[in-house]
Amino acid sequence: MSDPRPHLLKRGPLLLTALLLCALPFYLDAFWLRIGLFSMAAAIGAVGLGLLSGTAGQLSLGHAFFLAVGAYGYVWLAGEPGPGLPPAVALVLAVLLAGAAGGLFSPVAGRVKGIYLGVATLALVFLGHHVLLTADSVTGGFNGRSVPPLELGGFTFAESGPELTVLGVPFGAEERLWYLGLALFAVTWFTARGLLRGRPGRALVALRDSETAASVMGVHVARYRSAAFVVSSMYAGLAGVLLALSFRRVVPDYFSLALSVDYLAMIVIGGLGSVAGATAGAVFVTALPLLMTRYADQLPLVAAPGSGDGSIGPTEASRYLYGAAIVVILLYAPDGLHGLASRTRARLRRRPPATRPGGTGPVTAGTATHATSDTTARAKEHTP
Amino acid sequence: MTAPAARTAPAPPALDVRGVTVRFAGLLALDDVSFTVAPGTVHAVIGPNGAGKSTCFNVLSGLYRPTAGTVRLGAAELTRLAPHRIAALGVARTFQNIVTTQGTVADNLMLGRHALSHSGFAASALRLPRAVREQREHLAKAREIAELTGLGAHFDSPVALLSYGDRKRVELARALCLEPRVLLLDEPVAGMNAAERTRTTRVIGEIRAELGLSVVLVEHDMGLVMRLADEVTVLDFGRAIAHGTPDEVRREPEVLRAYLGTTTGEDAA
Repeated sequence: MSDPRPHLLKRGPLLLTALLLCALPFYLDAFWLRIGLFSMAAAIGAVGLGLLSGTAGQLSLGHAFFLAVGAYGYVWLAGEPGPGLPPAVALVLAVLLAGAAGGLFSPVAGRVKGIYLGVATLALVFLGHHVLLTADSVTGGFNGRSVPPLELGGFTFAESGPELTVLGVPFGAEERLWYLGLALFAVTWFTARGLLRGRPGRALVALRDSETAASVMGVHVARYRSAAFVVSSMYAGLAGVLLALSFRRVVPDYFSLALSVDYLAMIVIGGLGSVAGATAGAVFVTALPLLMTRYADQLPLVAAPGSGDGSIGPTEASRYLYGAAIVVILLYAPDGLHGLASRTRARLRRRPPATRPGGTGPVTAGTATHATSDTTARAKEHTP
Repeated sequence: MTAPAARTAPAPPALDVRGVTVRFAGLLALDDVSFTVAPGTVHAVIGPNGAGKSTCFNVLSGLYRPTAGTVRLGAAELTRLAPHRIAALGVARTFQNIVTTQGTVADNLMLGRHALSHSGFAASALRLPRAVREQREHLAKAREIAELTGLGAHFDSPVALLSYGDRKRVELARALCLEPRVLLLDEPVAGMNAAERTRTTRVIGEIRAELGLSVVLVEHDMGLVMRLADEVTVLDFGRAIAHGTPDEVRREPEVLRAYLGTTTGEDAA
């Protein structure tokens, strides 16, 4: 919680990463940028789901629905047919719309807990999909709608704008959207970490670990459950907008149950309850199928897309792979990539001063120096 | 500022339990129990296992709604309120079996500050200056309480790594972080070794002397009860069978029967 290290040293790696991410469009081609863009969009959504499922312990299978609300909300608000609002306004309103949709569901989300909420939200996905297919005038039906590009103060985040060349690198849609994605992801990172480390985050963790303890400590259980759901929906909405902008076309079939499951896979692989973990999981789950499609011809056992000779296509292969990743992670690192990373970091830091025999489990750095009489990790006890 | 107000308040209001009955589908867990916790005193509720002590606590903290009867704290009627509202009135409790949340001691103690702080989702997400300031102030307060309860050295340690006795004390400290006017302690020394017991007993004594709050104590350790309690209520099979000072209660034949059994009272065992 309180870190004695000086500010700059603590922020150093973060700043370096940010700088590196800003420099990437000058070196990578559109294919890699697109992977990055989809990863950033997924990361925003995964952070939202992580807040709900990882931190507050509420399972949601309806994440795809809120992504759809964000994506279609933006398309409708900014496009024709629709009010044709300025795209920047449409973006904000689409996020709020997703939040409002979450709010409408809050009588359920506030009362139903854990896996039961998962079942309740399942209905949302099917309902949403049905509406997307049938409400032709708003959603464009089966064929979906094309996405109006985002414009901000005369700058267009798409190819259509005036030619733009920065330091000899032509800035097409991918390059421009990359910075938009980065900015939106930075907002997500900043706000989500603020939430988690602040009063609401602690209340949500308490709700997850013991509803009884949370309530006698003054946490309004139903209100916090609903709020977690609304906030999670808003992140999903934002992710939806960014996805729509990256795809340039929204179609109903994308927002299916499989998408919700993908997002669950992201937060499980990344590690529940952490922003960095959700991000890592999102990159993994998003990038894997795209990479496998691209390099299908060089991979053993994977057929090139569209070859249709009965062997495994790259999409299926990547699904198998991340299915396997989930199994491995649940077995060997239940706290996901994030837990794995922090354990490794703790071990590296501990090594120089003393050679302590045997791993001591998930010890964060700095705690190992406290000489407690009994340092073995014990399972948490729960109230009846 | 609510924080110092609770501390400098002259005396907490009396906690008045009147005719509380709790029935679980045919089982009478509490039967017309009444007692009053005088302001600033330690009131022990004792009795054999299954006598209804924890049920009584669950009614006081709002987790159970009684079938009949009322609990009043000053003018407020607690039996009508949800647990979080009762917490906001300054009633904090610990649990018989430890209920901590994931994270460090600091995280747990900061949860205790929940009712005293205000930052909502938006303020925390945007890290508004007032949210940051509030967090810092409450963190300082939590650290102070950690020192008071002997957890200062473990403030940033994950709770899961602490010893049993320390984790029980985390619960006590978390309850204190609420700056309660009434503190409900459910078996604060159960399962502790002798040294831990002595230490916790001393801490409870200090808290009471320094903060002037009312304490309701459920405990099997008679040594602790005799040392700390001003008044004792004895429960047996959901009924209050005796009231009085520890010495009076100790001599009560009903109590001896309930605890030790008599030749004819095998049912009490």
